Amino acid sequence: MAGGAREVLTLQLGHFAGFVGAHWWNQQDAALDRSGDAKEPPGELCPDVLFRTGRTLHGQETYTPRLILMDLKGSLSSLREEGGPYRDRQLDAAIAWQGKLTTHKEELDPKNPYLQDLLSAEGVLSSDGVWRVKSIPKGKGPPPVTAAKPVIPLEGGVRVWSDFLRVHLHPRSICMIHKYNHEGEAGRLEAFGQGESVLKEPGYLEMLEDRLHFYVEECDYLQGFQILCDLHDGFSGVGAKAAELLQDEYSGRGIMTWGLLPAPYNLGEPQKNIYRLLNTTFGLVHLAAHSSLVCPLSLGGSLGLRPERPVSFPHLRYDATLPFHCSAILATALDTLTAPYRLHCAPVSMAHLADMLSCAGKKVVTAGASIPFPLGPGQSLPDTLMQFGGATPWTPLSACGDPCGTRCFAQSVVLRGVDRACHTSQLPPGTPLPSPLHACTTGEDVLAQYLELQEPRALSSSHLLRSPCSVAPPYPHLFSSCSQQAVDSIPVFGALCSSSSLHRTLAGLARELTKLDLRRWASFMDAGVELDDVQELLQDLHSLAQCYQEGDGLTD
Amino acid sequence: MASIKAVNTKAEVARAQAALAVNICAARGLQDVLRTNLGPKGTMKMLVSGAGDIKLTKDGNVLLREMQIQHPTASLIAKVATAQDDITGDGTTSNVLIIGELLKQADLYISEGLHPRIIAEGFEAAKIKALEVLEKVKVGKEMKREILLDVAKTSLRTKVRADLADVLTKAVVDSVLAIRRPGYPIDLFMIEIMEMKHKSETDTKLIRGLVLDHGARHPDMKKRVEDAFILTCNVSLEYEKTEVNSGFFYKTAEEKEKLVKAERKFIEDRVQKIIDLKDKVCDKSSKGFVVINQKGIDPFSLDTLAKHGIVALRRAKRRNMERLSLACGGIAVNSLEDLSVDCLGHAGLVYEHTLGEEKFTFIEDCINPRSVTLLVKGPNKHTLTQTKDALRDGLRAIKNAIEDGCVVPGAGAVEVAIAEALIKYKRKIKGGARLGVQAFADALLIIPKVLAQNSGYDLQETLVKVQAEHVESKQLVGVDLNTGEPMVAEDARVWDNYCVKKQLLHSCTAIATNLLLVDEIMRAGMSSLKG
Repeated sequence: MAGGAREVLTLQLGHFAGFVGAHWWNQQDAALDRSGDAKEPPGELCPDVLFRTGRTLHGQETYTPRLILMDLKGSLSSLREEGGPYRDRQLDAAIAWQGKLTTHKEELDPKNPYLQDLLSAEGVLSSDGVWRVKSIPKGKGPPPVTAAKPVIPLEGGVRVWSDFLRVHLHPRSICMIHKYNHEGEAGRLEAFGQGESVLKEPGYLEMLEDRLHFYVEECDYLQGFQILCDLHDGFSGVGAKAAELLQDEYSGRGIMTWGLLPAPYNLGEPQKNIYRLLNTTFGLVHLAAHSSLVCPLSLGGSLGLRPERPVSFPHLRYDATLPFHCSAILATALDTLTAPYRLHCAPVSMAHLADMLSCAGKKVVTAGASIPFPLGPGQSLPDTLMQFGGATPWTPLSACGDPCGTRCFAQSVVLRGVDRACHTSQLPPGTPLPSPLHACTTGEDVLAQYLELQEPRALSSSHLLRSPCSVAPPYPHLFSSCSQQAVDSIPVFGALCSSSSLHRTLAGLARELTKLDLRRWASFMDAGVELDDVQELLQDLHSLAQCYQEGDGLTD
Repeated sequence: MASIKAVNTKAEVARAQAALAVNICAARGLQDVLRTNLGPKGTMKMLVSGAGDIKLTKDGNVLLREMQIQHPTASLIAKVATAQDDITGDGTTSNVLIIGELLKQADLYISEGLHPRIIAEGFEAAKIKALEVLEKVKVGKEMKREILLDVAKTSLRTKVRADLADVLTKAVVDSVLAIRRPGYPIDLFMIEIMEMKHKSETDTKLIRGLVLDHGARHPDMKKRVEDAFILTCNVSLEYEKTEVNSGFFYKTAEEKEKLVKAERKFIEDRVQKIIDLKDKVCDKSSKGFVVINQKGIDPFSLDTLAKHGIVALRRAKRRNMERLSLACGGIAVNSLEDLSVDCLGHAGLVYEHTLGEEKFTFIEDCINPRSVTLLVKGPNKHTLTQTKDALRDGLRAIKNAIEDGCVVPGAGAVEVAIAEALIKYKRKIKGGARLGVQAFADALLIIPKVLAQNSGYDLQETLVKVQAEHVESKQLVGVDLNTGEPMVAEDARVWDNYCVKKQLLHSCTAIATNLLLVDEIMRAGMSSLKG
């Protein structure tokens, strides 16, 4: 295998996607090896897959996410479009005007205490900005470089994702859609059609193409793209169009799409709910058509009109109304699920992973994760796995209902954060083995055997990683079991699987869509979607659902 | 009580006078914001976002897009004004000013009891007359370089400072002339605008060729090639391992090795074809050979190409492929099978420039290029953006002038002339509509008035002088912003686009009439979709 990382470019479309992304990048950042010690063996996950090295105009080396994110006007808060190390040094040097000049300053968004703490820890680098409002809190002497107690962002203090983002972004990462407002009543990006038309405008299309080009051109072995895309609003249309563009332009690369939905919905707002349903359905079908694999991710109970209780985790306490919490959990799952194509050695390429899971057109998959993986002290992996019994070990994260009693066609499973010593049974020789799992000699075997027992007919691939998921602050403190202690990292057990429960979900979506009187929602249609499109969509949805029908002779 | 209240108690309603007041207030509010922008002596606005991002602008269009306008009427006017920019590329500020002024003038009469409908009729009649006058005063000329320079200068002087405007003027006119082909419409897409954060904004220049924002990815490739053949192609030169890796195709390690080799050979053959062509055309001469590929080229292929002295660029942008063949000649090939000398383009000089992590490849000295690049330079982001916005407007102004085949005198001269003609015309109109015509004439004068005011002159005094001069000399007289005195716009070589003025008259009348005729504003749980 040729050297060099197999690069992945990430696209983050939408505000909730920004939340998930911010948590995810924070986790990546925490996992980076900061010591710079070459002798230490590199981690199992290769950060170069997601990050790129660069150099600013001032010659400073940078290591920033290979990322393009799109969000609406007014959503960045205190994050600057051109920020971090790439900022211009001489700002007021030249203003190309000799006449009168008036300045209109928006009220500067105060940086929350967490960000201020972060800035002060970085020292002078960021504090020389001309336009910074508040510099490091004065009167406390030199800034504490290694703060004894890191400030954890307050749940209430997080309004937008940039409030807790730790990593610096490359100036080419941020694409603002100025046509629509993030907040307020007027000018929202609400419908699929609006989103599609954003990327039909030459201005925005060119902006996206330029940025794609910048990141892709420097990749030697690009393996694909991962798209994190909001499904509930107009960004589903942006995502669909972006996926189409990628498929056209970079054929042969994997395109992994994660459709994100923030959890709770109010029954009280029928219009919002209908819009959400329409956007989700349109998004899901179009994304499935243009990407290698689509996985909806949500903590909500269902994708349909009727909201169900958000899912619960046995060892987590979270507030489903806070995007800050929900996105943290989804990011953890994402960090685990994407591990196969981010490995240092013998990675499964994204396209291959997608091929394995999506045989016979099953391009939509569900995700599940057990966060944290309940490995008790002194327990070995076989013990823990046997505890689950026949039940599914993971909590479903795709809002497709309970996976119980459904059939799994193919799955990719990752277990990370389990110490090598615990991989196999430590029973003294001679004791009767409680299960066949205890007889396996390696952790990988244990896992494979377990999957075989659970889903004997499924095509499974499994990965066992030693490195855990990092949950250092600003990750919210969600763990109920180890209440007081600060947790830095947790073991996670995650799975992507294409299961027959999707048949029910997709068919359900189609049923709800048929029942809608679309003429009542003329405003949705005005934005560029026609009645014929809806008919076509229904057809596509039905045929997609058909792929997941149980018991068709072909797959056996 | 409005009937809507019976159905929806939350509905908010404003009726008759109140509704009109709301609309007029919004229009004047918007007018106040943009008023100071007009003309070369207008104020520059610096917008500082909440996070500290800077935007410097003087362009009404940019301002309206940046402002988060929440008032529905204001947002309506802003949309009309920005639509004006989308159609003609200029006139946003004038649009907002005239709409505001039309409503203000109308308000004077309405408060004295005149029905808005009658004013609207007057507006309509006045618009028709105004368009007639515009037809009469337009100056049809052959669009030579000199007059285009004047048009571009008039447009650019209002966007950026004078010395920069002069630099941009030349660049813009020459670029349009370079891509202009008799008998074909002008395609501004053939002018690439490339930005480089480097030096100062007055270093912005026209490159008669192409600038690509990426470079060769191999350390051994030459940074400078003279007299080079250019091969543009859309062929993958990268070995995609995915198919072989999937494990279904091989059983043993040797078999895998063999498959990998076969796969690799396939790509190597393609590379060899390019090398063969290079050897054939260059034939030991000192000529260079540059490959620009839309698809990827992997490090192995790059290495092989570098060994044979070929400079290769990968992943060129789709939109640049067309420009490349227009700039250098040659044909973009999609398959290496039919590769021949005829496919090759030519450039006198190809060189690379590195700025931090970014590389730029200049392809210059092309023979008769039909696609050119405007290279925008500037020390920081906001200067680049500002210059780029100005260039776009300049290009549009020239395109408009060429397509119209005529220009109209600027500096407020046209408005003064139209107002004068309308006052005469008014006498022929019977009834209240006459007042509408009067209002229209007065409203148009906002343009010379604001021009004078922004330059620091007394607006009434200047206007009277200009009007007197106009009547006396029978020439088109505008305001000289350097002296505050009247000047003949034609002699001062201040030219505006005909189509911009025409569009202005149309859209301002339409929107002002609509707003006048609104007698009820309801707000009842409307979807915000239309914003």
